[in-house]
Amino acid sequence: MNNRNYNIYFSTHTVSGIIICALLYVIFFAGSFSFFKDEISAWQSGTSNVSTEQPTFPYRTMLDSLDTEYNLAGRDVFFYFYPNSPKTYVSFTPSQDTLHNQKAKERKYFTYNSITKKETSYKEAYDVGEFLYRLHFLAQLNQVPIRIGYPFGYLVAGLVAFLFLFALITGLLLHWDKLVSNFFVFRPWSKWKTVWTDIHTALGVIGFPFQFVFAFTGVILIVNTVFLTPFSKLLYQGKMDKIYEDLEYTTTIESPFQNKPLHTIPDLQTWVQRAQQQWPDAFLKRVTIKNYGDLSMRLAVEFEAPTHQRFAGTGIIIYDLSNGKIIQQRSPYDSPTYIGAIKSFIYHLHFGDYGGYFVKIINFIMGIMGCVVIVSGILIWLVARDKKNVPAHKRKFNAWLAQIFIAICLSMFPVTALTFIAVKITGNSGQSFIYPVYFYSWLAFTLYYILRRNLNRTNRETLLVGALLSLAVPIVNGVFGKVWLWQSYAIGATDIFFIDLFWLFISVITFMAYLKVVKRHHRPVEKQLLPVQQHNEISTLV
Amino acid sequence: MISFFLMLSYFFEKKNVMITGIAIGYILWAVLLLFAFLARSGWKIWLIYLLLITLFVLPHLLNA
Repeated sequence: MNNRNYNIYFSTHTVSGIIICALLYVIFFAGSFSFFKDEISAWQSGTSNVSTEQPTFPYRTMLDSLDTEYNLAGRDVFFYFYPNSPKTYVSFTPSQDTLHNQKAKERKYFTYNSITKKETSYKEAYDVGEFLYRLHFLAQLNQVPIRIGYPFGYLVAGLVAFLFLFALITGLLLHWDKLVSNFFVFRPWSKWKTVWTDIHTALGVIGFPFQFVFAFTGVILIVNTVFLTPFSKLLYQGKMDKIYEDLEYTTTIESPFQNKPLHTIPDLQTWVQRAQQQWPDAFLKRVTIKNYGDLSMRLAVEFEAPTHQRFAGTGIIIYDLSNGKIIQQRSPYDSPTYIGAIKSFIYHLHFGDYGGYFVKIINFIMGIMGCVVIVSGILIWLVARDKKNVPAHKRKFNAWLAQIFIAICLSMFPVTALTFIAVKITGNSGQSFIYPVYFYSWLAFTLYYILRRNLNRTNRETLLVGALLSLAVPIVNGVFGKVWLWQSYAIGATDIFFIDLFWLFISVITFMAYLKVVKRHHRPVEKQLLPVQQHNEISTLV
Repeated sequence: MISFFLMLSYFFEKKNVMITGIAIGYILWAVLLLFAFLARSGWKIWLIYLLLITLFVLPHLLNA
């Protein structure tokens, strides 16, 4: 590689990296926890999805009560079943029968929990799992009042993901020549800059395939409109819904409203069960009722093949309820279309839901490793600029920037553990509780460490506080949630057991890291470290 | 990048081209961005990119 190219890779890698680092850290950290979203939800509510028998969804009573309250005639009704969760998302559209239906214009959506049998609004059903999952694509930023025609948070997340992809490519090219020789180089007792560089390179290269997969699937999942909008203009006359239908995101059921009521409305429970009997192992994903109570009434039941059997597979049955005939049928076990295959591939790669806990844990470790790569990247950036020939005001700015970034990043760990504890102790949940707890404590931690202006302290203390809080998570679940580790294990509630054990492990590991950091901190400092150490006490992370 | 896939859509099934574009378009885009940085002259790379765009858009313009 010639020098010029090397310098270009180097500069583009540095610039794109330092712009996105803090946000990317948030995405990585929250994203790593999101692999366990369902387990976290189960942990918080205290009802395991594994050991508790999943009741069948009460179509009959649900539709009856909705019908008496809102008059379903002429509406489309949707049930979306969350995987591994007792929660169902229920919604219905305004009615097309505006003449007879008094409440025709009303529409509604809510979450129904089939274990507690309660309806809650989305905001009330919001739990820590959902919060961390949404944080990992910055959904909370959507509430920032910047109107640009696309949710602000998603746009930022998309940009970060794209720059990350760019930084990954340049980073790989940067190390291409020395990929093999440097792979085995780790010099933890050398200069600080060397330590950071070695961590950054070694972990970056080991994690490269993983990070690349997540960057590229992530950018697709969050901003595919960037790609699709021009196509909708050029090839579809601006009809976005037509594109989504072609790409199998939505299923349209062609059945114009006829405004002739059916004599008897068929019992939907039996119809859904009839559909389910075709593929008993497949996961029921969505039930759509088109034109309720009309002669044109249709029922669509969508299935997904279990991931341990097939990576990609969606099935659908559409019934014409006026005569009971099947209009369309597609087995989830059929070989998928090209589109379906690519989409499932991207989706499952990103969600890591194809190999049980093993894959999830590996992905979590790789994700946290990504966090370490980001932090070490920030520190390389700082240390490389902390030289005598750099003007004082620039050095000051750099130091501040690094302080702020590191404070934001590292305080996420104790704050996350704290939120787990807070929801368990108070029993509160919902957006109105989780938002203030998480964001204010995050702000408090961050401000505190920015003001302390000591990278080593930030690292040491967040590790210690985080370790203690993590240790408290399973204890709090025992005391306030009345489920101790051994109890959840005994009743076979593996998801709840897993989260407790998981925090216990995190606690032990971070505590060990903390002890190492402290030991090193008090060791007589070698001479060559002095210039850096006086200016900024930085300590190792791992 | 967009224009490249637009051209492909005249040779293959358009919905398949779109999903392929979704899958690899962003990587292609990032690589093109890098090429722009690697270029020795900003004008030259502009020229090359503009030429490529015109070339790829041609089938669409001729058809429209």
